[in-house]
Amino acid sequence: MQIPYNEELRPDTGLYNAKLGIWIFLASEIMLFGGLFSAYIMLRVGAPVWPPLGTAQLNIPMATFNTVVLITSSVTMVMAWASLKMNNFGKFKMYMGLTLLFSAMFLVVKYFEYSAKLSHGFTPAHDTFLAIYYTMTGLHVIHIIAGMIVNGYLWMPGSKMWKSNPERFTNRIEVAGLYWHFVDLVWIFLFPSLYLL
Amino acid sequence: MSSQDHHEESFISKYIFSQDHKWIGIQYGITSLVFLLFGFTLMMVMRWQLAYPDTVIPFVGWMFEDGMLSPDMYNSFGAMHGTIMIFLGVVPMVVGAFGNYLVPLQIGAPDMAFPKLNMASYWTYLAGGVIMVYSFFVPGGAANSGWTSYPPLADIATTGQTIWLFGMVFLITSSLLGSMNIIVTIVQLRAEGLTWGRLPFFVWAQFVTSFLLVLAFPPLEAAGVLQLMDRLAGTSFFLPSGLVVGGEILNVSGGGSPLLWQHLFWFLAHPEVYVLILPAMGVVAEIIANNTRKPLWGYKSIVFASVWLGFMSFIVWAHHMFITGMGQGMSLFFQTTTMIISIPSVIILSALFITLWGGKIRFNTPMLFALAFLPMFGIGGLTGLPLGLAPTDIHLHDTYYVIGHFHYVVAPGTIFAIFAGIYFWFPKITGKKLNEGLGKIHFFFSLIFINGVFMPMFIQGLAGVSRRLADGGVSYAHAAGVLEWNEFMSMSAWLLGVAQIPFIINFFMTIFKKVDGVADPNPWQSTTIEWTDTTSPPLGHGNFEIAPVVHRGPYEYSVEGASEDFIPQTKK
Amino acid sequence: MSHDDIQHHVKTYIKVFIALMFLTLLTVGASYIDFDISPQFRSGAIFVGLAIASFKGYMVASEFMHLNNEKKMIYWVLGLTVFFFIFCLSIPVLWEANLMGDTNFEQSPPKIEGGHH
Repeated sequence: MQIPYNEELRPDTGLYNAKLGIWIFLASEIMLFGGLFSAYIMLRVGAPVWPPLGTAQLNIPMATFNTVVLITSSVTMVMAWASLKMNNFGKFKMYMGLTLLFSAMFLVVKYFEYSAKLSHGFTPAHDTFLAIYYTMTGLHVIHIIAGMIVNGYLWMPGSKMWKSNPERFTNRIEVAGLYWHFVDLVWIFLFPSLYLL
Repeated sequence: MSSQDHHEESFISKYIFSQDHKWIGIQYGITSLVFLLFGFTLMMVMRWQLAYPDTVIPFVGWMFEDGMLSPDMYNSFGAMHGTIMIFLGVVPMVVGAFGNYLVPLQIGAPDMAFPKLNMASYWTYLAGGVIMVYSFFVPGGAANSGWTSYPPLADIATTGQTIWLFGMVFLITSSLLGSMNIIVTIVQLRAEGLTWGRLPFFVWAQFVTSFLLVLAFPPLEAAGVLQLMDRLAGTSFFLPSGLVVGGEILNVSGGGSPLLWQHLFWFLAHPEVYVLILPAMGVVAEIIANNTRKPLWGYKSIVFASVWLGFMSFIVWAHHMFITGMGQGMSLFFQTTTMIISIPSVIILSALFITLWGGKIRFNTPMLFALAFLPMFGIGGLTGLPLGLAPTDIHLHDTYYVIGHFHYVVAPGTIFAIFAGIYFWFPKITGKKLNEGLGKIHFFFSLIFINGVFMPMFIQGLAGVSRRLADGGVSYAHAAGVLEWNEFMSMSAWLLGVAQIPFIINFFMTIFKKVDGVADPNPWQSTTIEWTDTTSPPLGHGNFEIAPVVHRGPYEYSVEGASEDFIPQTKK
Repeated sequence: MSHDDIQHHVKTYIKVFIALMFLTLLTVGASYIDFDISPQFRSGAIFVGLAIASFKGYMVASEFMHLNNEKKMIYWVLGLTVFFFIFCLSIPVLWEANLMGDTNFEQSPPKIEGGHH
């Protein structure tokens, strides 16, 4: 049994199934982070001083570096998709590999950031600023890891599909890319909200 | 059999890890029926305590210390009754079972758009259910802070609350997967010629419902994560500074806001109410149109009303919070939106009533349940008006009146629609109609006793009896005048349980009944695709032998000049 | 999409990449500048920071996620989401605005008029 419009576009909507699916998923993700940002604003406007007195000073250079890393990974991701569109599987492999490398780099930096804070006793329980900082960035890290699993699969075992069904494989990369750019997008807002303002 | 699978599927891939939307629908249906029964049983135990406080509970008393529910245990049962009925019973039933089984069939699709996700959605749901049931066995028992889990109480409650939150994460994920799938299926896999204006109302209802789930659940998931952090990492998202528990200041950083939880919770939970009711309206609309042999009156207006209902349901949430000390501006805004949202509900209900006018009504069991839905939901809706207005809500808040109102919407409302749907689509699944005699016994006794349970709640609620008293109000001076109703309601609840026995007998009797010959694929003479374009049940994976092509609207009953009193959607 | 189209896209991606890098440095730099009247009231800095972030987000969404040229259905879904997203974010704003409303109420209680209809 074949589900229609898995790779070809449905004429009246102009979409294939997974494209609509991922956007609806991202819509729910927008609401998830919307809930958290709402919590952030409510804690912030409710606090007498923000950030609360005695809280940790977050490491801006490290976070700036991470922003650069994540944006770069987003570019390599979209380049991976463009390479497939240009029928260049070798370049796809390279760009996808770079995307994974940059995502891993992001996690390593984040690890050092977290451990530096935790070793000085700045745990989530310390104050509401650190609580929302750990929760939001932690949830973001979980999204990064989930994206890495998907991208890793599409990079190695999943890429066999390029031979059997190149069109569907390209669609998969596009869909994975949309998710990855969304993760990047969330960080673009997290960075100033938590570190700079 | 061009579109159907020819290779033999193994038992496991066919019946356990099935990717066929029909079988997943049945899995959802059976699991949620079990949970509905379980949630109802919890309530029947609680009702003993309310009717006869300080006496040993019969039958199940051996499970509890002293043979009675402790007040803590009573709270656990209450919280879990709500959670199980809503998140493990009704939503999986109306969206998981009915949506899964019927949406692809009614739009002429071979399956859901993402069969693997569909399977994952069921198994995530089951995992969530198992986690919830498991929480009864941890020290301190299951979650006991109400199904709403308000902090600060929920933040400092026993371990059961943590398990509840984990369970909710699973259930939310399952709902998200399921509803994404339904939206994509409806948008992408409609049969040729099945335009938006030709969709059966049931499909529209599922469409709107799925959007509500996709957009409203994530903020609760966010809130759940925050509460987990509060409980596990010691943060203070919902704990204000200087909170005193048991005479001592709680050792937390403070600075949080308990109201934040309420906002995020009700941002989900109000749309959730419409998740419970919209698919039920869809089921009832299908059955009423079929059994009055008339087109649904005002199809367009009820479609627009349901979309409007879905939209408005996101901006009424704070009417659950009138007594939190909100100011006039905000309360004015939410009272206004609440009054506005009653309009589309009334439009839908009126259209269904008008459909009855002049119809040749067939009073079979599904129709009886569908007909009972109308006034029952009407009572539920009308009694909601005083709760939507702050001055009356302040008096009625947290009393049995609220319980009565809500249950009229969901129990004789949605649950009756579920029964109507089961009786109506049972021949689609098995090829055999459920027994009419037993069905009518089931219906009439259910209708009588369910009113016996919930009607007196309005009386008690108006007298001011709080909904959270473990002894039913014996220790509460206010309740003295209306206390005698407790026994009446409890008796009704148990008899309501007894009234379900004919249904259970009927269910199994019909399944195991041997019938000769090929079953009628369209026993209700219906117009929609799931009846007219399929072979005799059980259907194979792939649903249709030839992809259907649609030529007309969903409700062409008793068209003048036609040879029969219905014209299938796929007839030219 | 033809080969040339993609080549064109790739050029855009590189341009967007450079712009994003520049804006990242800009937003960090801007955070050291004092836009504000007082340290308690930081609306200037918040406005500048969020404006830059929104512009970066807009570029990622429109170019990398191809939202500048997407199908109608996607716009419908996102439009709906953005509406409810704004509502969800406005929870604290509503709350605050409401408290201000109450202060006014305390200062001037409404006149109670006699019943004449």
